Amino acid sequence: MKLDLANPAWRQTLPPGRSVAGDAPAVACAFNKDGSLGGFALGDGRVRLLPADISAGETAAGEPLHGGVVLALVDDPAGDGFVSGGDDGRLLRIAADGRTSELACQKGKWFEHIAGHRATGAIAASAGKNAYVVKAGEVREFGPHQSTVAALDFSKDGSRIACAHYGGVTVWSIGQVVLPPRRFAWRGSHVALKWSTDGKFIATGTQENDIHVWRMAQATDMRMQGYPAKVKSLSWTADARFLYTSAQPVFTAWPFSGKGPEGKPPLQFGDEGAGLMTVVAAHPAAEFVAGGYDSGELQLGDIKTKRSVVLKMADGSAITCLAWSPDGFRLAVGNEAGTLLVLDLRR
Amino acid sequence: MAQAQVPVTVLTGYLGAGKTTLLNRILSEQHGKKYAVIVNEFGELGVDNDLVVNADEEVFEMNNGCICCTVRGDLIRIIEGLMKRKDKFDGILVETTGLADPGPVAQTFFTDDEVKAKTRLDAIITVVDAKHFLGQLDQGSEAEQQIAFADVILLNKTDLVSEDELKKVEAKINSINRYAHIFRTQKSQIELNAILDKGAFDLKRILEFEPEFLHHGHDHDHEEEVKSLSLTADRPVDPDKFQKWMGALLQLRGPDIFRSKGILAIDGAPRRYVYQGVHMMMDSDWGTPWKDGETRSSKLGFIGRNLDGENLQRGFNDCLK
Ligand SMILES: [Zn+2]
Repeated sequence: MKLDLANPAWRQTLPPGRSVAGDAPAVACAFNKDGSLGGFALGDGRVRLLPADISAGETAAGEPLHGGVVLALVDDPAGDGFVSGGDDGRLLRIAADGRTSELACQKGKWFEHIAGHRATGAIAASAGKNAYVVKAGEVREFGPHQSTVAALDFSKDGSRIACAHYGGVTVWSIGQVVLPPRRFAWRGSHVALKWSTDGKFIATGTQENDIHVWRMAQATDMRMQGYPAKVKSLSWTADARFLYTSAQPVFTAWPFSGKGPEGKPPLQFGDEGAGLMTVVAAHPAAEFVAGGYDSGELQLGDIKTKRSVVLKMADGSAITCLAWSPDGFRLAVGNEAGTLLVLDLRR
Repeated sequence: MAQAQVPVTVLTGYLGAGKTTLLNRILSEQHGKKYAVIVNEFGELGVDNDLVVNADEEVFEMNNGCICCTVRGDLIRIIEGLMKRKDKFDGILVETTGLADPGPVAQTFFTDDEVKAKTRLDAIITVVDAKHFLGQLDQGSEAEQQIAFADVILLNKTDLVSEDELKKVEAKINSINRYAHIFRTQKSQIELNAILDKGAFDLKRILEFEPEFLHHGHDHDHEEEVKSLSLTADRPVDPDKFQKWMGALLQLRGPDIFRSKGILAIDGAPRRYVYQGVHMMMDSDWGTPWKDGETRSSKLGFIGRNLDGENLQRGFNDCLK
């Protein structure tokens, strides 16, 4: 891959790309399936679609799609655009041409978390205490959980979903055969969740500044403590060897190859940022990683060489979302001030 | 980015006391301010407003295993969501159910860093039904707790009871919570300035708190009751001894101590040391400097259950230089 993530020139100037001033805080971002569009969910109900190709013309801001805040956005696993959820209780499909259709509506609830599964085309989304799976036009409900679902994710093969809530995680089989859910208990409030890319582990971040990881096969668990803040962003590497976690000043990766991370310190590398990492995103294929900070800085790193480069954003506003394009050449970045970037990291 | 913290007002009180009437007034009156309202029952509010959010009062126990360390996780989530909005608002009102313990709501603002960064707990308002309050006290601990946590009390429906009965209710409220400001109201009619933006949890404004003096005497046979008490000292406080004593006290008695606050004259420090706590959770800071020649006295206030004033005063005295 021709990426030079430790390019020292980027310390002074951002890599080439597109920068747009959104009108409201960026909440989430993603690239669509073919990587031609960066999508950004905003706090004013809009979803901005920015062409990844820098030479392409600017697109209009468009009308708000949701009544209040767009709370979640993922690439549409069954379409060419995106899926968004809002605090107006609607789950929308947004085509690459901007046309929308409603997938589900839960009046009075917030559609807060969405996950997509590419191979099966299934979408999982949560509103209140329930999770909903949308597949081939059919919507199925899973729940209620003991509290509002705070995060969800698909298993590697797309046959199950895991939902985080108070007291742990519930795993549902989403096939046509209805099976009782499996529960993984740990006291407290779980606020982030990512299923490992090899399907063997489920990791959560808790309200009490630690990480909890369950091993699916043995249903044993482990806890990693010592974070100065809630770990709201988790990201498994493509090969499932490492779990990156936010809430540290440098890249922090727990090793999951071999015997696993128990009793070992995490691998830490990169420059110490001006604050804490708010969001971290492992590269979809290679050993690279991107991290955004509450200070507005962006860091790109390479876990193999341990080299990294810190990019400073002009407005110093906390980075709220990061997403790699499917080919791994571009990075979408959004911050609290509403600055939306699509960076081209090719050499 | 430096952004003013949005004040959050918590509204408690039994069903039928007048919370909804008050909320409807705040939402419909022309006061030029915009409030987001977090309610537990959608339908009750008469106004249609996209800033009204439904919450389920989802309380979780923290991992330390302590019964009083409980937090409203749903509030953290909702406040984070509201803060992503483009249009900002002047305040947030949180209505609790009639039987809610205000502890978890208050503790949410001591626990979560993001909530603390973007909002501040302004005050707890308890609406009291003057006619039914004394009866409600006998039905369970909730009515008592709601009074114990309050900074502001609306003694509502005063038109339905006699002056004598009102005095009785006020005396009872005072015996539980000496520090709250009581307003007599009918149909929740109150000047909003009087109850919003009180800064009751603002450490900078803690100096406005005037503790009553400790009442010695006959209350030993009613120890299970919730009451307020104050401790004072004229000698400087040894910070290490105080921290040790207070830490042990909260560790042991946290579940029984609903609220506490204090202004301390720390030995050798030019500024006041101020703190404020809910159960075991606490915030503290340096306050204003002592003036030349000013008497440097320390005051502590507690509202709680099973509090033995003499014992506490002895413990506090041992922390003095
Ligand atoms: Zn406790």
